[in-house]
This record gives sequence, structure tokens and C-alpha cells, in this order.
Amino acid sequence: MSYFLRKIGFYAVALWAALTLNFAIPRMLPGNPVDILLAKLQQRGGTVTPETREAYALLLGGDDTLPLWRQYIDYLGNLFQGDLGVSVSYYPAPVSEVIGQSLPWTVILVGLATVIAAVLGVALGAFVGWKPGTWLDSLIPATTLLAAVPYFWLALLLTYLLARVLGWFPLQGGYDVVLTPGWNAEFIGSAITYGFLPALTIVLASIGGWLLGMRNMMVSTLSEDYILTAEAKGLSPRKILRSYASRNAVLPSVAGFAISLGFVVSGSVITEQVFSYPGIGGRLLGAVSNNDYALMQGLFLFITLAVLGANLVVDLLYGLIDPRTRARS
Amino acid sequence: MMSLNIRRRSAAALLAGAAAIGLLATGCSSGGSGGSGDPATLVAYTGQAGDYQINFNPFSPSRIGALGTIFEPLFFHNKAQVSEPVPLLGTESAWNEDGTVLSVTLREDVKWSDGEAFDAADVAFTFDMIKANPAINTGGFDGEVAAVDDTHVTLTFAEPSFVRGPDLLSTPIVPEHLWKDVNPAEDVIEEPVGTGAYLLEDFKPQAFTYKANPDYWGGEPKVKQIRFLSLSGNQAGADAIAAGTIDWQTGPIPDIQNTHENFPNYDAYTQAQNQMVLATCSSAEQGCTGPQTDPAVRQALYYAMDRTQINSLAFMDTASDMSPTFALTPSQDSFVSAAVTEKTVPVEPDAAKAAELLEGAGWTKGEDGIYAKDGERLSLTIEVVTGWTDYITAVDTIASQAAAAGIEVKAAQSSWNEWTDKKGKGNFQLAIDSLWQGPTADPYYLYNYFFDSSSGAAVGEAAGNNYSRYSNPVVDDAMDALVQMPLDDAAGRQPFFDTIQAEIVRDMPYIPILTGGTTSVWNTTKFTGWPSDDDLYAFPAVWSALDAAEIFKHLEPQG
Repeated sequence: MSYFLRKIGFYAVALWAALTLNFAIPRMLPGNPVDILLAKLQQRGGTVTPETREAYALLLGGDDTLPLWRQYIDYLGNLFQGDLGVSVSYYPAPVSEVIGQSLPWTVILVGLATVIAAVLGVALGAFVGWKPGTWLDSLIPATTLLAAVPYFWLALLLTYLLARVLGWFPLQGGYDVVLTPGWNAEFIGSAITYGFLPALTIVLASIGGWLLGMRNMMVSTLSEDYILTAEAKGLSPRKILRSYASRNAVLPSVAGFAISLGFVVSGSVITEQVFSYPGIGGRLLGAVSNNDYALMQGLFLFITLAVLGANLVVDLLYGLIDPRTRARS
Repeated sequence: MMSLNIRRRSAAALLAGAAAIGLLATGCSSGGSGGSGDPATLVAYTGQAGDYQINFNPFSPSRIGALGTIFEPLFFHNKAQVSEPVPLLGTESAWNEDGTVLSVTLREDVKWSDGEAFDAADVAFTFDMIKANPAINTGGFDGEVAAVDDTHVTLTFAEPSFVRGPDLLSTPIVPEHLWKDVNPAEDVIEEPVGTGAYLLEDFKPQAFTYKANPDYWGGEPKVKQIRFLSLSGNQAGADAIAAGTIDWQTGPIPDIQNTHENFPNYDAYTQAQNQMVLATCSSAEQGCTGPQTDPAVRQALYYAMDRTQINSLAFMDTASDMSPTFALTPSQDSFVSAAVTEKTVPVEPDAAKAAELLEGAGWTKGEDGIYAKDGERLSLTIEVVTGWTDYITAVDTIASQAAAAGIEVKAAQSSWNEWTDKKGKGNFQLAIDSLWQGPTADPYYLYNYFFDSSSGAAVGEAAGNNYSRYSNPVVDDAMDALVQMPLDDAAGRQPFFDTIQAEIVRDMPYIPILTGGTTSVWNTTKFTGWPSDDDLYAFPAVWSALDAAEIFKHLEPQG
């Protein structure tokens, strides 16, 4: 029991540290939201008079006059009430609404792509590791090459080939905007068509890591004595592959998988840029460039919570599925 | 063990299923064109990066639409050309003799899109609401508004306010019966009801659509639907043009000169509107430091530039001439003082002139070929925003050209936020930037925004628009005099323009480079009636809401 308590205590401290950093870092950015808003307006040909500046300072400002410690207390207090504040760049929309609108896209696209990449990578890795030294090993350099190519380049190449030249997939967007989002076959079909290419690029770019990790674990697991014992008992190779070798070799990948699930909510800024795909990444980029503290904090909070949460789950699960971890502590 | 196996198998099945559905769906929908298949739908991209957040409040700085298209102003002022205001909800407007009372006659038989009648009470309500809510009073309206009868309104001011006319008459008018219970600063107006040519059909974070208003007072517009897409940025916009999924975007695309050859359905049109400058922290009295506080240095830099080279290297030859008086050329040429000898900036560098100016001000050339004065080398730093590649190229080009004239120029890149902060606080020597125009084609506004000492500030304090901190009582006085005069009194106003121009050409707190073009790429196969050199009825930029609304009404679908 003390193992779990200690873990949870550690995560509470980590959460507090993360929340504090989350408060501090956006405030170290130069500039202020009113200036950025005005700069944006005038870039768009709007007329910006001294009166405009006053009006917008009045509309958006207010916070900055409070001393910093006061802002910090308010920030923590509001967080515990679930109030993330009001976004400046999407004023007057509340941060939770802005995030809530984008989150599903990210979770579904990046989440599914991560699951697919992990499952495929681990399965292929187990298979390749089962027969080391054969032609199958050439899968390793092939997939690591894909992972090593800068992601945006891979994405652009695939977009060019599959969307522009061959026209198999739509170039941009999350669905055909003529349709109304909802649980109907037409919309879901459209969303899948539009999401296929972005998902494909994420899978291709990340499968190499899973494959390599799993393959190497397989190779070292296969030299364990219990595999020899299993073979000596006369078990079928398939049975050994599935129940003895893979199960032990997959443990590090499970941990890695949980952590990468935590990063899903941070979205993929580059994927969203290349494909104009709706999601959290674009919001994050916009929040940073607009000095939108509240939105930045809200987004970082989600990411922090998801990563910490995923780690916590892994830690706790590890204690359950691998008794050795618990015994040693 | 069992559970793990099952989960893995089902995940694999899910993947296979997803792939199959994906292929199937691709087979069915032909190409997935982003919804521009319907010939009567115009698809526009405003440069919005990322998803839309619903906001159709015309007074909100984060609005995504409705201004002009749904909520109309009284008049439309064309800032691309000197021309008469186009009557919209107003039909006539006139100032009294001393510029304190503006009388507006309103259009009759106009209906809000919910069927209620529009009248003078709505106009009075709108102005009163703005005055009562400082957070939306972006024009600083402090007058009294009165509805004389159903079709006449007067706006009364304590002081002559001629120059405010265009801003006042461009105010979007909202319906009293719906807005009287609305907080105009915070309501996002999800169901906008206006008098304009379009109605909101639907909103999604990835796109929103207008449909034509069949009961529009000016007749139902010919373009029946307009859809605004959200993409990830200008690059995505250029891609969408290449793929033919959008009909109008304002922003650069590669190989702009040959747009029509590369994409036969499209044409590019460039309107010179933003005057690009090297802004200087000009005033030593306000705390600026560095060689650029010497007007001779600013002048020398002005003559050291090879603008032909800058234009071709940095701006793909889309930039055009500029007047050192900052009257936009050619549209505002009539305002340029006869006493100004250089009508446009020199295109070739004049090193001899630059040397003469510097030596006249006591600078001497050092052994390293760079001028110096009292032990201070003539070395300047230009602030430029990271990623603004055209400006960065321009600064690099200027640096090499200035070196030839004995001036050392360095570039410092910083993020947009930091750059804006430096300008505002005066922590810069030079910054490459562009100056914007007022609500109508009249140089008064630019002078007022950028040269009036009241919007400057000491270094360290946040300045308004006049971040060069230029402060010249002669200019200030001339501007105060201009406020007292009607905008159409060209003969009366010109002497004051002459004064301002003589001062600012001599002092040059913003060193003119060239006039930057705003380029629109639009589909000429699907629609006709776009603005052109022959008929520049509005400033062609899709993000300039009032202008875009005017353009939508002029367009006609083809075939």
C-alpha cells in the first residue's frame, strides 16, 4: 500500500511544480496581448487609433494591474474550481470551450494513429525479432529511415504524391465542410477520408521506434533460459512466440505506449499545419503567438495532466503486472 | 494472457476496418474538393489560422465575420481610391459649417432580416450603445446622437470633428429590438440579424457559410453562397489555390507574376496600400539613443538604398513607387505639395548625396570605410520579425547597400511579440515595418496616426501608433488646423498638407522604402466583377471586411 501512496504523493508534488511553471512561463514572454491584437488588426488593414488601443486595453486588460502573487493565488483557486479563464485571442470565449472544440479531433486522429503505430510496430517487431538475421531485418533500416526523415518533409512528400498528383485523398481539412458534423455515416466517412493521410504520415513516422524497440527486446528475450525450456518441452514455435517471448518482451513497449498516449493531447502541431487539420496544435500555436496566457495555461494544463496521468497509470499498472517492481521498493 | 491476445486482435481488426472504410469512402467521393463544387458558392480564405471560434459581433476584435456582409454601415468609404462614399443605410450626409453637427439621411424601406423595419432609432441606439460601452468605443465617439424623425439622424460634437466622418459613417448599425438586452462587449451574437446582403447560413469551427438575403434592399446579390474556410495559414491557402478548392485568398503565392499561366482559372491582383519604411527611434529628447537620432543619417540611408534591387530580391517585383510625403501614390497624388521636388523615392542609390549629407552633419569616414562622429561609429541595427522572409531579405539587401555608402547596418531578428514590444517601448534603433492607411483615401489619417506627438511617448513607456516618437509642434499645429476643415475643402487644406509634408520629408522619422502590395488571388472563371485598375471600387483584400462585403455584391457567377 505504501508503494501506491508514495507514488501518488510524488505525483501530487510533480503536479504542483508543473502548475507553477505553467503559470510562470507564459508570463516571461515579451509583449502583451493588446499590442499583439492591435498589430494584427493593423496588419489586416484595420485603422488603429489611440482610442482603439484604449478600448481594447479596457476590453481585455484588467489582470495585469494585480500583483503577481495575487494572480498566482487566483490562478490556483480558479483551477480547482475548473475555471480556466477567458481566452484573449478568441475573446469572449472561455478557454474550456476553445479547448473542448478542438480536443476531439486531436484525440481521435493522433490517438488512433498512435495506437495503430504501436500495435503494428510491436507486432512486426516481435515477428522480426523472432527470426533475427533473416531478410526481415531489412525492415529495421527501412522504418527507421522513415522516422529519421524530418516529419514535415515526409508529410509534404506524401501529400504531394497521394493528394496532389494521384488525387486519392483530399489535401486539407478534417472533413468535407458541406456536411454537418454528427454521428451520421456520411460525415464519419468523410472524416475518415480526410483523416487517412494525416494518420498515415504519423504511423509511418513513428512505427520505426516501436519496431526497433520490440525487435531488440525479442532478441534478448529469446536467449533467456525459459525460452530454451519451453522449446525443450516441445511447445510449438507459435505458442512460444505468443505466450512466452512476446509477453515478456512487450513490457517496455507497454510503458512507452502509455507515455505516448499521454502526449496525444498535445496534438501534433506539424500535422495540423501541413494538413490544415483541426485540433489542439493549431490552438497552441495561436495562443503562443497571441500572448493568450489563459489559453496557453489551459492547454499546458491539459497536456501536463495527461502526461502525468499516463505515467501514474503506468506506474500503478507496473506494480500490478510486474510484481518485481513492487517487491524491490 | 487471454485478455491481452483478445485486445490485440480486436485492435488489428479495427485497423483493417478503418482502412477498408477509408478506401471505400475515397472511392465514392470524387476528389473531396473542400466543398467548392457548387458553382454559385464562393469559397474564400481570410488567412484565419486554425479553427474558427463563433463570434459574429461586429464590435468584437475577435469577430470572424458579419461586419459589412450582415451588419452594414451608413456609407462605404473606398480607401483604395479618392472617390465619393457609397450610400448604404444612409443616403446623404452633411456637416454644418463649423463641423460640430453631422446630419445623415437614412434609406427608407429597409428591413432587418427578421422582418422588423429599420429606422433612425436603430442608428441612434447603436451610437448611444457605443458611447455607453468604452470597451467597444474604438473610435472614441463622445458626441450626442439624436433621431430627428424616422429617416434623419444628427450627431453633435463639442468640437469640430470633420475628420471623424469616415469612421463614424463606417460604424456598423445593429437592431435596437434585439441588441437592447445584449452586452455588446461580450456577446458573440450567434444568430446575427442585420440589414446586409447576406445571412448566416451555418457555422462550424472549420467553415461558416453565408447565403444571399432575398429581401436585401439593393436586390438579392448574385453570388448565392459564400463559404469561409479555416486553413492552417497562407501556405495552406496557396496550396488550396493550386488545388482549386478556394476562389479568393489575399496573400502571397509562389511565382505571383505568372499566376494566370500557372493556374488558368485564377488571376492575381496587387494593390499598393502599405508604405514600407525603416521606422526609427527618432527623438533624442524622448530618450532614443543611436546614430539614427541624427536626421542626416536617416536622409543618408534614404539615398543609399537601391530600391530596384530591393524590389526584385525581396518583394518579387510586387512593390511599387512611394512618395516621400507618405501620400499614397498614385491614388493620393493630388495631396502632394507642389514644393516637394522628389515626387517619388529615388530608385537608384546615390552614394555621393549620402556622403554629402553625412559630411555636412559632421560625420567623417573612418579607416574601415564606415563613417564616425565623436568616436561613435555609424552602426545601426534593424529589428525584423523572425520568419517574415521578405522583410529579412530586404534588410539584408539594405545592409549591403548601406555598407557601400559607409553606413554599417545589422539585422536583429526577434519574435513578433518581442518586436512589437521593442517598438512600443522604444528599445530599438531601426525597425522594418509598414504604415497603414485611414478609413478613406486621405493622407490626414496616416499623418495623424504616425506623426502626431500625442500618440508618441518617452522611451520606456508604451507608445501609441507614433512609435518613432516624432514630436514636431509645427506638424501638430497643422494637424489641429486640419481637424477644423471639411474633408472636401481641398484648397483650404492643402497649405497645411504642404507644411506637414515639408517637415516630415526633411526630418524623415520613417525612412521610406517602397509601397508594399497586397495581393489577392481570385477565380476569374467562376466569377466576374472583381476590382481592377479600371474600376477599383473597393480595396481588394478578403480580410478587409467592409471592402470584401462591397466586392461580394459586385460579383457575378459565370455559367
